[in-house]
Amino acid sequence: MMRLAIDVGGTFTDVVAVDEAGTVTFVKVPSTPHDQSLGVMDGIALVAGRLSVPVATLLSRTERIVHGMTVATNALIERKGARVGLLTTAGHRDILEMREGLKPERYNLRLPRAAPLVPRHLRLGVRERLRADGRVEIPLDEASLAAAIGELERAGVQAVAVGYLHAYRDDRHERATRARLAEAMPQAYVSLSSEVLPQIKEYQRLSTTVVNAYVGPAIRYYLRGLESRLAAAGYSGALLIMLSHGGVGPVDEAIRVAAATVLSGPAGGLAGARHVGAALLEAPDLIGLDMGGTSTDISLVVGGQAQFSPERIIAHQSIALPSLDIITLGAGGGSIGHTKGGLLQVGPASAGAQPGPACYGLGAEHATVTDASVVLGYLDPDRFLGGTARLDAAAAERALRALGAELGLDAVRTAEGMHRVVNAHMAEGIRLATVRRGIDPRRFGLVGFGGAAGLHATDLARALRIRRVIIPRYASVLCAWGMHATELRFATSRSHVGATGRLEPALLRQTYAQLEARGTARMRAWFDGSIECRRSADMRYGEQIHEIDVSLDGIDLDDTEHSKSALKAAFEARHRALYTYALDDQDPILINARVTIAGLLAPLPAEQLAATMDPATPSGTRSIYLGSWLEADVYAFDSMAPGQNITGPAIIESDTTTVLLRRSDRASLTVQGCLDIAVV
Amino acid sequence: MTDIDPITASVVRHRLVGTVEEMGEAMLRTSFSQILNSSRDFSTAICDAEGRLVAQAEHIPVHVGALPTGVVAVMETFGGDVHPGDVFLLNDPYHGGSHLPDLTAFVPVFVDGELAFWTINRAHHSDIGGATHGAYNAAAEEIWHEGLRVPPLRLYDRGEVRQDLLHMLAVNVRHPRDFKGDLYAQIGSVHLGERRLTALVEEFGAGTVHAAVEHILDAAEREARDIIRGWKDGVYRGQAVLDDDGRGHDDITIRATVTVKGAQLRVDLSESDKQVQSFLNSSYANMRSAVAMALAFLFDPHTPKNDGALRPLEIIAKEGTIVWAKAGAPVALSTSHCAQEIIEAVVDALSAACPERTMAGWGRRLRIAIKGDDPRSAQPFIWHLFHARPGAGACCGGDGWHGSGEWHCAGGLKFGSVEVAEVRFPLLFKRHEYLTDSGGRGEYMGGAGCSLELALETDTACVANTAGDGLRHGARGLMGGEDGRPHRYVLHRPGEEPLPLASKQEGVHVPARFTFEVHSGGGGGWGEPAKRRQAAIDDDVRNGFVTARAARKMRS
Repeated sequence: MMRLAIDVGGTFTDVVAVDEAGTVTFVKVPSTPHDQSLGVMDGIALVAGRLSVPVATLLSRTERIVHGMTVATNALIERKGARVGLLTTAGHRDILEMREGLKPERYNLRLPRAAPLVPRHLRLGVRERLRADGRVEIPLDEASLAAAIGELERAGVQAVAVGYLHAYRDDRHERATRARLAEAMPQAYVSLSSEVLPQIKEYQRLSTTVVNAYVGPAIRYYLRGLESRLAAAGYSGALLIMLSHGGVGPVDEAIRVAAATVLSGPAGGLAGARHVGAALLEAPDLIGLDMGGTSTDISLVVGGQAQFSPERIIAHQSIALPSLDIITLGAGGGSIGHTKGGLLQVGPASAGAQPGPACYGLGAEHATVTDASVVLGYLDPDRFLGGTARLDAAAAERALRALGAELGLDAVRTAEGMHRVVNAHMAEGIRLATVRRGIDPRRFGLVGFGGAAGLHATDLARALRIRRVIIPRYASVLCAWGMHATELRFATSRSHVGATGRLEPALLRQTYAQLEARGTARMRAWFDGSIECRRSADMRYGEQIHEIDVSLDGIDLDDTEHSKSALKAAFEARHRALYTYALDDQDPILINARVTIAGLLAPLPAEQLAATMDPATPSGTRSIYLGSWLEADVYAFDSMAPGQNITGPAIIESDTTTVLLRRSDRASLTVQGCLDIAVV
Repeated sequence: MTDIDPITASVVRHRLVGTVEEMGEAMLRTSFSQILNSSRDFSTAICDAEGRLVAQAEHIPVHVGALPTGVVAVMETFGGDVHPGDVFLLNDPYHGGSHLPDLTAFVPVFVDGELAFWTINRAHHSDIGGATHGAYNAAAEEIWHEGLRVPPLRLYDRGEVRQDLLHMLAVNVRHPRDFKGDLYAQIGSVHLGERRLTALVEEFGAGTVHAAVEHILDAAEREARDIIRGWKDGVYRGQAVLDDDGRGHDDITIRATVTVKGAQLRVDLSESDKQVQSFLNSSYANMRSAVAMALAFLFDPHTPKNDGALRPLEIIAKEGTIVWAKAGAPVALSTSHCAQEIIEAVVDALSAACPERTMAGWGRRLRIAIKGDDPRSAQPFIWHLFHARPGAGACCGGDGWHGSGEWHCAGGLKFGSVEVAEVRFPLLFKRHEYLTDSGGRGEYMGGAGCSLELALETDTACVANTAGDGLRHGARGLMGGEDGRPHRYVLHRPGEEPLPLASKQEGVHVPARFTFEVHSGGGGGWGEPAKRRQAAIDDDVRNGFVTARAARKMRS
């Protein structure tokens, strides 16, 4: 049986197929932004072609497809999501825009005011009110609800977010509202705060719910379309979606919690970088640098572990779902060079996949970073995408010359300048991801992946004084490849505000057992492999309002005698580690019981290179510009032997990635097929 | 001195800033009182052994530049008698503090047996004893009426807490359990900073870290001077006016004369009005902090907030004026008022030198502190109003942020979750929304204020104190923009006429089940209202920020 992983990026769609023996087949096809599923089907067809089987045969032999996508992220960043209406408790329609009184950028009093995802005239109050203890203060007023729904209908909203005060305690008014919405606006995507994030603190809950409604219709449309295309092509296995927390879930889950797909693509890259570094190379501290066509994602692996953040702000919107800590920069191979006040700038505008860089020959005239790489000789116009596409070097040069004319520079100097500017920007991004988190990048390895990283990685490393750069064999498709190295994951939780927060072992036992039973049943519905349940608790002292996450590993709740003190001790140890002290005379309380249900997938079989291969000899030479023109040896990545060393200047290229070794960069090939580059 | 490369200096700078931010994060997460864990009224900082500000977290601007005065006070008191494991404490405005509720904890950080840094946490406590609850006593005529004065003292002696002293502090405040929870959170925060700084020095070596600090401060100075050099040379005058002193004297005025000459700046406040009888007076440290804050707002947003950036600044003031009261005068309100008017006067003066950098007035603070008994738990409570934030001032090219607060916090004070407030206090928030027609009109509109209707659900009467300003003077309009609408605070008693609240009132009797109605003011407008684009006006009307009637008036 086969497994497929598909990653749709802004420019390319990557498909990586792995068979039982671990043999990898991968392809890269242009993304199709107006309907991403077309590119997905193109990619699958190309894989089938490589394997010399019909598409239907490939799909009938495929047991699992894991998919990462950028539908949600693009909708948020480009502000092209659904027209959303928001229903709140009457008298509280501004929660979303108030952000609890906080404005971003403390000392920037001239910061332009951010426009909320839902403008005020589409935020409507409904007469209803729950009290903090869950009692109904004002029953849901049907007339007021009908009036609000009527107004949203007239305004033509495509999605409705519902967020009432204290709905985390009791969802009855939100459910009743959904029933009315289903009658009046059956086509609308409806998102309830009590479902998306059933936790106290209305701003985070509402903002997450609104983001969900904003991206939900696009996610639903896309995934349902993809499902039917796959079914029509003969696929009947599982389609799993990569989620922001680094695990995967089924399509229904991704549609329901659409806001959890904002990091769908990059999450695969982090899994891939971690797998390459931690599992294969024993390098536990890594910076992942995923440079694609439109953007660059920077991630951290510390001590072999991915880093998480409880809340993520994307385009000023708070999404309070646990997610991987990944920083996205608006710079990539497609970033467009332009001048401002006589200075050269690169990005954030990108040429995307269509029309793409000038050298794609699709009529674009802007000079992109990729065009600069062609002019500097780093990319071979005849070998692009393994020779399946040809780059128009003359068009690249024309574009660079036109840009250079504004600066009084020739095309080569302008191209070199674009590389320097975009590298400085990315170096700052890496600094942001490391130094500001208190981590010195110099002791980290830099894993470069995505189509463009190989041309930039050693220059960046030098700027940051990083000494080790790793370019994996599957660099250009590492996000997709990494999606094979993940697990199925559901996170379930329940809030315990009030007296039930006391650490009663019997009650806790029952709560966790229920959460586990429910989560396991949900997983079992479509997965028959082995399942692992991980228990944790959000705890704090009574008067605090922020909880800390305490793992319950090793605490036996059946042991009534000792579990209470063990739980207290676990909390105190964590409080001490985080904050230097604990309060001996106080008992902590438990706010949320959490269970993560993980469905363990068979690990990615590792393919090793034969140790007996002969070292590759240069396949030729090429003129490249590194301050001056020089002739550099060109090697084929796939013909290098394990242990072979190559010292720069040199070019190492494969069908989908090109690595530039600058002077004194020294690369050796590992047995897993990774280039391990020492940068001096 | 050790040579330092720019990458190392940059890493150390970000590490120092990361440390103060982590100290702040720990404080937010561990403190007990709503004023700290929801509204984040605290600051964290690192000073070097000379008391120079090296890094400060971006929590509340009001403490910028005030903390070094505290370090100097501790060092003057204890001289060389400072040891690893010590924790020092102070709050007295005449001994290095700003106002009494701001209790400040200091931990000395030693490197190779030498004092190298201080980690500092200043937190506004919910109560600090004194004649009335909540630390703002509008009736105070001298500092002793405002609460417990703490000159620099040693709370931990070489790692051992002085229990008798801690007990003495705790019995002098109204809620000792919360007070101790907050104090332990402060001490945890400064210890966390100590831990991080020790690791930093171990990693880079003391010589490198010290060299990096000099490099960082010098770079900030260069950055600040480059900005000031771009301003037009000249002598500029500005002023700001407070409603009253709460004792029948209206229109208390702050006057700033600002001289810009090359890369140097002189701010002279000595023509400001004489000091008053009430808590509106400023301490010396607080006045310096307010001037520093005004500059931080006019500089670039990312100009470092440290000693170097303030080197181009010379401040002149006269003791006995409202901006620098003589020892013994009450000063509790000064971190809001008159600090905000000091900022406003400096910005007003500089609007002729660098108009594109200036902004119209942000809202004024008017707080309510309510004391009562929670019928659900039978426990006493003190609740401070942070909701219903006023609007922010507009600037050249941008409308003001709605409900984002006052000058002294600039969008950094969080009102926190209504749901959490209702779980913890006997309150019901019936309405909390933006207020129509409140923002000052202009080419760019001031941000909207808010409308809050709050029911007090106690079984017994409560006592409320108000402390603030802005019932007569709204947030100041600039460059032809109009002032924002002033505040209006009302107490509703069933079957009676609504009772308007004054801005400086102590001991207001609030019988059970009464309702507060708070209309907070809007921000100031920037530029002539007649120049506002029609599309922007239409948008204001559609979204209910401006009524159709007010919009018509604007065009005429």
